[in-house]
Amino acid sequence: MDRNKISKWLKEPGKMSQKYSLSVVYFCTGCGIIEIPPVITARWDAERFGVIPVASARHANLFMVTGYVSLKTLKAIIRTYEQMPEPKYVVGFGSCPINGGMYWDSYNTIKHLDKYIPVDGWIAGCMPRPEAIIIGVTHLWTLIDKGMAKGYVKYRKKYKYFRQNQEKLLGKLPWQPAFSTGDNNE
Amino acid sequence: MVRIILLDVIVPVLSAFIIGLLFLGIFRKVVARIHWRYGPPVLQPFIDLIKFFGQKGFSHGFIFDTGIFLSIAGSIVTILFIPFAGLCALKGSGGLLVLLYLLIIAPLGMALSAGESANPNASIGISRKLILSIGYEVPFVLIILSLMFYYKTISFVEIIDAQKNFHWALFSPLFLSGISYFLILPAMLGLRPFDVASAPQEISSGGIVEYGGQYLALFHIEHALHLYIYLSLFVNLFLGGGNIFVFLIKMFVVFIIGIFIHSVFPRLRIDQAIKYLWRYPTLLALLGIILILIFK
Repeated sequence: MDRNKISKWLKEPGKMSQKYSLSVVYFCTGCGIIEIPPVITARWDAERFGVIPVASARHANLFMVTGYVSLKTLKAIIRTYEQMPEPKYVVGFGSCPINGGMYWDSYNTIKHLDKYIPVDGWIAGCMPRPEAIIIGVTHLWTLIDKGMAKGYVKYRKKYKYFRQNQEKLLGKLPWQPAFSTGDNNE
Repeated sequence: MVRIILLDVIVPVLSAFIIGLLFLGIFRKVVARIHWRYGPPVLQPFIDLIKFFGQKGFSHGFIFDTGIFLSIAGSIVTILFIPFAGLCALKGSGGLLVLLYLLIIAPLGMALSAGESANPNASIGISRKLILSIGYEVPFVLIILSLMFYYKTISFVEIIDAQKNFHWALFSPLFLSGISYFLILPAMLGLRPFDVASAPQEISSGGIVEYGGQYLALFHIEHALHLYIYLSLFVNLFLGGGNIFVFLIKMFVVFIIGIFIHSVFPRLRIDQAIKYLWRYPTLLALLGIILILIFK
């Protein structure tokens, strides 16, 4: 933890402040949300690392998808993700967003979250322990430090791919594209 | 002229900004310790501020951009009227009377800005904030009136001079007004029994729900200045000001008591808040004026 190193703060203040002030939208999609209250309250106090829950997507820079993603929730997830200000990071929490988990043959959940929005990191497990979230945060710090947490840049560059996947699954989307998709077929 | 600009304008505004943000950090730390948590570092609001300036916010229109600047400008002008440890840029003009008008500019600017974002949560938040400000301005005007009756002046500097050598207004016939000011202080600062305007669990932080990136940073600056204004008003008017260290210690003590109240009380509904504000603090302030008319 290099939060108190003044030389690093002077060299790259943007990166350091992104690391040590993570405002989180805990998106309550499934059972994973039950592991969040212990993390942000007295037992595993995540606020000492600067991780704090916020109420609005506009205030956030970390998006945590906790649990299985049904088709209906996916719409809300995409809209929430597009509303967050850049730079923004996404962490999939639990087995279900990674590969479907125990819902792998369900007709109503998706199997791979990273086909629809870019995901910077995963926390595997069913359920992961609260410690796993804190370890996930430290891994995210490493990714930000090395410049590897660039999911938002990927979303902007490969928006056509993501939008195609979204429309293939959900039909015609009721909102405008966030970025140019590169073709004028509309 | 240079001395006035450098010393009397820049020093109070800059120190108000730094003191406000530091107090917000101490606030988060003390609340965490009361919850038996370790809590964030005291400099966490500064880290947040740098982060917010690095993010790319969304604008919702011209008024959305300018309203927040109007709010900050109103706060800065108010700070120039309030003496900061002997430094006061606008001591010759207006005093308490002008202050009464200036204090409403900051909430109005926020209301304009948040109203432009056209989010229902923001509308509910700003309506609650303005109703709450009506609630605490009635006792506040009565308190200011009693001060002006007692000291026969509208100047801040003369009021502070009259309180030298521990002749604090809190221990004079003005003590009822002082208690009344302390009772409305949580409503002014937006602390827990009266944080209906920015309730994150009910209305997604109220008026600031659509603020992202730089706009949120500007809101945090405004919040810090707001905190400084109301705390320093209490210290100047009732606890006798003092040099810079005494001034800071007095502000800190008042703020710590406010944090304790914040951490143990649940949130009041807006109608309960208005019922409280227009009953006990207003009654005490009225009694204070009567007391001064008798003793003077």
